[in-house]
Amino acid sequence: MNVQFKKGVLELCVLVLTAKQDRYGYELVASISEKFHISEGTVYPLLRRLTQEGFFTTYLAESQEGPPRKYYQLTNRGRQYMNDLVLEWRIFNRGVNEIIEEGLGYDKA
Amino acid sequence: MTRREFMDELNALLSALPDKERLDILADYTEHFLLGMKQGKTEYEIAEGLGSPKLVARELLAGYRIDQAQSNASVGNMTRAIVATISLGFFNLVFVLGPFLGLVGILMGLYAMTAALLVAPVGIFLDYGIPAPSQERLFLLFSSMVSVGLGGMFAIGLLRLTKWLYRQFLRYLQFNVKMIRGK
Repeated sequence: MNVQFKKGVLELCVLVLTAKQDRYGYELVASISEKFHISEGTVYPLLRRLTQEGFFTTYLAESQEGPPRKYYQLTNRGRQYMNDLVLEWRIFNRGVNEIIEEGLGYDKA
Repeated sequence: MTRREFMDELNALLSALPDKERLDILADYTEHFLLGMKQGKTEYEIAEGLGSPKLVARELLAGYRIDQAQSNASVGNMTRAIVATISLGFFNLVFVLGPFLGLVGILMGLYAMTAALLVAPVGIFLDYGIPAPSQERLFLLFSSMVSVGLGGMFAIGLLRLTKWLYRQFLRYLQFNVKMIRGK
């Protein structure tokens, strides 16, 4: 899968994963890795950039087990940005699927 | 790669960053290793999953250089931001360096013209000799005033233009990094 394309999708994924609850980095990496292959190390620079752009705020929280964790919380701006990206993705996704179906016919799954 | 090796290499690659920033980044990866090990993964497996420290560092540095050039304007910072952006891909060599060198050329031309206007009176006086013949004095005085006045106005305008272009170019770099990152 194309690297650049994946980066854009990755951004969408981390934003959506934090929409309902705050998440810590490892959790985000694990959730995404479950679904498709990524270079996990690049998620952290992405989180940093999104934080710098004001889409996330972070805080440290102690946990029952293991080290304290850095949690990422979606800001209002971040939520707005996420909604834009989701909309964009849906239009894009539908378009690509239609092209595939028209190109390969409906008989193939 | 062990945890130690991964962290050492990343640390070395990020040496250009301020300590606070660098340690903050390293803490993220340390946390990642510790949590992975709690899950029963080996250091080797975790490092494998993270991928190359070089890739990680490249992403971090490009973003950081542009932030830095924004927060304190200087030729050196701008240069570093450009180099970092170019390092993201060959494509940028054409789309960053080209416009930048073009702009610098135009600016240098304008500065040269301004300098010429400011020093023109010296040339005028030399031409007529000092003291100048009396019937020429008024003409000399006025032409000098016009020349220096114009030069001064150009100089003020140019400084503003330079600052504005600096900011615009940084925005262009940012846009560029986003494009390369595939947004």
